[in-house]
Amino acid sequence: MEADVESGGLPSFSLVGLPDPAVRESRERVRSALVNSGFKFPMHRITANLAPADLRKAGPGFDLAIAAALLGASGQLSPQRLSRIALAGELALDGSIRPVPGILAMTEAARELDAEAIAVPAPNAPEAALAGEPRVVPLVRLEQLALLGTEDEPLAPQGPMWRANGAGPTAPDLADLRGQPYLRYALEVAAAGGHSLLIIGPPGAGKSLAARRLPSIMPPLSRSEAMEVLRIASACGRSPGPDAPPTRPFRAPHHTISTAGLVGGGSPPRAGEVTLAHGGVLFLDELGEFSREALEALRQPLEEGRVTIVRARHAIELPCRFMLVAASNPCPCGRGEESGECDCQPASARRYRAKLSGALADRIDIAIPVECPSAEEMGAAPTSDSASVRQRVIAARERQEHRLGSGRCNAEMSLAELRSSSAMTGKATAMLAAGHTQLGLSGRGHDRVLRLSRTIADLEGAGRVSADHVARALTLRRRGLD
Amino acid sequence: MSDEHGRVWGTRRGEPGYPAALLDLRADAPDRLFGCGNRTAIEGLELGHTVTIVGSRRASSYGLGVAEDLGRLLAAAGLVVVSGMARGIDAAAHRGALAGGGTTLAVLGGGADVVYPTSERRLYRDILTSGAVISEAPPGQRPEAGSFPKRNRIMAALGAITVVVEAAQPSGSLITARQALGLHREVGAIPGPVTSRVSEGTNDLIIDGAALIRGAQDVLDRLLGVGIEGIRRCGPPLERDLARVAEAVELGSGTCDAVAVALGAPPQEAAIALARLELLGYVRTDAAGRYARSPLIPPGGDAAP
Repeated sequence: MEADVESGGLPSFSLVGLPDPAVRESRERVRSALVNSGFKFPMHRITANLAPADLRKAGPGFDLAIAAALLGASGQLSPQRLSRIALAGELALDGSIRPVPGILAMTEAARELDAEAIAVPAPNAPEAALAGEPRVVPLVRLEQLALLGTEDEPLAPQGPMWRANGAGPTAPDLADLRGQPYLRYALEVAAAGGHSLLIIGPPGAGKSLAARRLPSIMPPLSRSEAMEVLRIASACGRSPGPDAPPTRPFRAPHHTISTAGLVGGGSPPRAGEVTLAHGGVLFLDELGEFSREALEALRQPLEEGRVTIVRARHAIELPCRFMLVAASNPCPCGRGEESGECDCQPASARRYRAKLSGALADRIDIAIPVECPSAEEMGAAPTSDSASVRQRVIAARERQEHRLGSGRCNAEMSLAELRSSSAMTGKATAMLAAGHTQLGLSGRGHDRVLRLSRTIADLEGAGRVSADHVARALTLRRRGLD
Repeated sequence: MSDEHGRVWGTRRGEPGYPAALLDLRADAPDRLFGCGNRTAIEGLELGHTVTIVGSRRASSYGLGVAEDLGRLLAAAGLVVVSGMARGIDAAAHRGALAGGGTTLAVLGGGADVVYPTSERRLYRDILTSGAVISEAPPGQRPEAGSFPKRNRIMAALGAITVVVEAAQPSGSLITARQALGLHREVGAIPGPVTSRVSEGTNDLIIDGAALIRGAQDVLDRLLGVGIEGIRRCGPPLERDLARVAEAVELGSGTCDAVAVALGAPPQEAAIALARLELLGYVRTDAAGRYARSPLIPPGGDAAP
């Protein structure tokens, strides 16, 4: 950010460096804010430049920096004092400073640039303080710029009070899920191995209720994961309060979502749902209703854990490691053929089935059919809550990390890792071979069963995969087109 | 093909693996038969338990749907579905049979290792996993125009009944139907709209006395007897516990939870039992993973469907 104030010539204020409309309008905000804060607006020919010149600048966050550059260039503030300080914030006409999104990432960028301090809007200060470095100066009004570097400089808030944690205090608990013990088990296996999951059943069977409870049984976020989650939330303007621990996100986009909305895109590029779900769960209700393009676009993110958005001038890469949970009705009317009440046209039911079995077939490990719980089950006492399931999941994940390395899980195992880590009993090998010949398991289906067996064994703390583990994996596996 | 399923095997007339049904062609029976895929699919072929489904390449969505449903339900009932892997009706019938978890045989005009039409490469691969692709043409031979009518006689002979789903007038499918009649096989046809060109042939067949087929049950009625829903084969021995689980599935428990409730056991135990039953062939699953009982009966037969 640089500004030049030329004496002589007609008074004017130009802003260069590819500003978008919000940045361009910054001139008017800066002018009023300066005047209303007791500074003088220099009546000269002013040029403010946002570098680098070929990168598009968007949003109102540049106001504070533009105002500071102007004040420096016109000699109202010491340019030397301002030179090593990063600034971010939107100005109101009366000179007060408004919060902006993305403060955490900006503070980290300031640290990279070796800035001495970063001046941020006071409401954003706790978030900025999470970065640890550099010094954070919370500002309420523009005139406080004069205090920068002096003894009267406003003090930064204390460091983060939260501990890294997976579920917030109010996260929905698995105990709410009545009946459905096998669905509960499928969730546990999915969480333990990072396997994506498809739940098929009629409306009211608790599909989305179950999916929403998955974050509560996933292991807590590590410190670095928590920072990533916060950074993304902050950049998208959904920063949680400074006191709330970052929780694993749960995103449930509607099935009419565009491809760009799902994986990111637009100009300037925006993060999609996959990135917002980073570290947490992406829930696709009515999987069969999502557009084919949107589902196809999910492949790269699912496989690589990051998504690349390419624009004419540049490409950005965003993280998106999430667990996929999909749900679907068994047929278009939702009642399912076996209920005897299905009134779907056979042709439309067939199309629906075909789309469902084709959708992300090779990316979803587990498929589980569910039914509506009976009245007794609804009234029964809850069998287990999230905390106890989570203990087992954490133990299983630890075994995987021990084998595969930090932060990795069974769902991501390469073929070589899969072979080397799957010591099996003789009976287990025989059962898997029988699956190949009797059930026509494809190569991919075979690997899927092996992966799931490994996770099931990890949940039980077993070193070797037994026939019972393979049998359960055979039941859980996603069938249909491999 | 480097794929292990791509290895071609062969059988000669008079050898034990040669399908007996082809002998009805008498002098016209192929001397040699080549195949790819699961050899037992052809060696274990049982007279009377096969259905040949043929029809137009340029089928309507109605025809494609009917063919797929027929393939699926008949394969699930235990019949072997025979067709020619052509685009349209043939491919739909094969696809249905695979979806039904059954065995399907494709009879090709060219060599059994030459994928034709090439657009059905994926289907070809899927057929090889459980069924087989056979041909009298030597391996590597490309199909020619003249090889298809010859191939049709093999399809006609293999099927205990030949069902024509959609056919224009004239068409190769009608040739197959005529050959089936010549072999004293049953012929059935799916009725279609009188305005549809691809139903002209099938509607004519019905006027000429072919069986009117409305769905899988009509075929089963003719082959197995009225009202019989599938072939009952004797399965491998069944432990007592597993037999109880099979019974629970038969009474309508389609999920692990439902079976667990029926048996009073934890669902993880039910899952293990269901997987074992599926491997033994006593239960089957749909794409959603719901279980249903197969027509297989345990030795001793006390739990017949």
